[in-house]
Amino acid sequence: MTTMATKRKITNAFNFLLNLPILVIILLPLLYTLSISVMPPSEIYQNHLIPSSINLGNYVKAFTNPAYSFLTFIRNSFIVSTTVMLGQMLTCSMAAFAFAFLDFKGKKLLFILVLATMMVPGEATIIANYLTVSRWGWLDTFRALIVPYLTSAMGIFLLRQSYLAFAKELHEAARIDGCSNPRFMASIVIPLSRPALGALGAYVFLNTWNQYMWPLLVTNSANYRTVQIGISMLYDIDAESLGLMMAGVVIVIVPSLSIFIFMQKQLINGLMAGAVKG
Amino acid sequence: MSAHQVDRLPARTGRPRPRKTFYDLIEPYLFLAPAFAVFGVFLFYPFARTIYLSTFLTDKYGNAKVFWKPENLGLQNYIDLLTSDQFWASVLVTFQFVVIVALGGLVIGLITSLLTVRKYPGVTFASASYAMPVAIASAAASMAFRMILHPTNGLLNILLGTRINWTGDPAWALFSVSVLTIWLASGINFIFISAGLRNVPDELYESASIDGANYWRKLFSITLPSISPTLFFQIIINIIGAFQSFSQIRLLTQGGPGDATNVIVYAIYRDAFFNFRFGTAAARSIILFLIVLVITLIQFSFEKRSVHYS
Repeated sequence: MTTMATKRKITNAFNFLLNLPILVIILLPLLYTLSISVMPPSEIYQNHLIPSSINLGNYVKAFTNPAYSFLTFIRNSFIVSTTVMLGQMLTCSMAAFAFAFLDFKGKKLLFILVLATMMVPGEATIIANYLTVSRWGWLDTFRALIVPYLTSAMGIFLLRQSYLAFAKELHEAARIDGCSNPRFMASIVIPLSRPALGALGAYVFLNTWNQYMWPLLVTNSANYRTVQIGISMLYDIDAESLGLMMAGVVIVIVPSLSIFIFMQKQLINGLMAGAVKG
Repeated sequence: MSAHQVDRLPARTGRPRPRKTFYDLIEPYLFLAPAFAVFGVFLFYPFARTIYLSTFLTDKYGNAKVFWKPENLGLQNYIDLLTSDQFWASVLVTFQFVVIVALGGLVIGLITSLLTVRKYPGVTFASASYAMPVAIASAAASMAFRMILHPTNGLLNILLGTRINWTGDPAWALFSVSVLTIWLASGINFIFISAGLRNVPDELYESASIDGANYWRKLFSITLPSISPTLFFQIIINIIGAFQSFSQIRLLTQGGPGDATNVIVYAIYRDAFFNFRFGTAAARSIILFLIVLVITLIQFSFEKRSVHYS
């Protein structure tokens, strides 16, 4: 018996050890970033890999020095990501409700139109969208960052799938009892489809937080810049302060990682629904 | 949705049924209105506008000025692109990048999924680590890689004892950007391939074990064939994702050195925002759309076939 137990222990240890090389490759970029961000500046230039002492100066600088205005970037990103997330939850639930529960003329065609939008890569329409937004004088506003992303085919599709699992009789019974569609949606459908809505929310918030190309095009002033643009600008401001740059990366990654850690299941469900679009 | 239809409805159904009010008829469209308003203004319209612009010479504000060579059906921007060496160089770079990233992501995803398919202490940590890159922004990762690839003080040169300018040397720039993109894509590859592996029925392995098949035999004759649809789907996702890459190029190489990393999306950005040639940028955008469309259609036709035969 004891040899069996030992043997299993050895197999377990062996199984884990096999992971080490790839685990190092995947985790090293983040650990290294963290290490540089707290390293005393002189050690960065002596090519140290691990700091001799923890130096939080870069973080203090990122948050308090107005030249870097990190708090503004974080505030902007929170405003934009939260609004886009809530907006998509609303518009996508409404559209998904119509597709799942209501009968109307042109339903099939409209649904195909929604699916067809998944075939158009955002980068292919970004120039025309930029021209629209700049013609409206929306450059350097929250509107420009938010409004174009207030719905998504992936969200409609994901929620429709979850609504289709409900019995249609439930809807008919509610209608006969005189329950209006908006009320049925608010009091029955949304509470029952919370997992799908959570998946959509986590996915959309993270995607918006991580956006780079669109915010780069439509914002110029620090007042509206989002975090991803903010950190990439650190290099342009001061190419010498590598430590500050890495502190910025850590600050920006913390919210992303928190969503990943605390909402891993929802996020992965959202990703699997959204991957079709790439 | 016209008025005469409202009148016809009760006669058609015949049975005593509450007469559909005007509100009942338009209600579904009200539910769809917010989503379609956004699609209309920021997807359908710009798509049509991109096609339109691609047939024009534009001014530096992106206004369509001259319908560009009617004798060539307005396709002059496309003709100019398709006959320029710079365009084909960009296409070649894009395809190299896409192939490296699609295959690299797949291999890492496959290895990490196979390593975590069994249960042992630490497997949860390993799985979470392998999935983690899905949460990291490409811009943030690009900044981290800027440090890693730093010519004098970066991790990679320190570890290798080299002094390579990873992003500034034409021989290494595309490779460096590809490695970063593979790192970014490794999470989604891991998630999908792991899900595929969990769906392989255990009975297959049991009977193979009875026949005395070893690990590699089982891998090549059971596991890989069983998950081949997943792997195919994942390659498509990788290809489409790689075609859309932008942040890593912009932040590490700016398409350079020269045109060494000038992939299609970056070329669109350069055309529009450095050269103010919006017509050419629009034509490039349509070409990008067509490439992604063809890849998606290939995926659909394969999916149909595999559903049909299984």
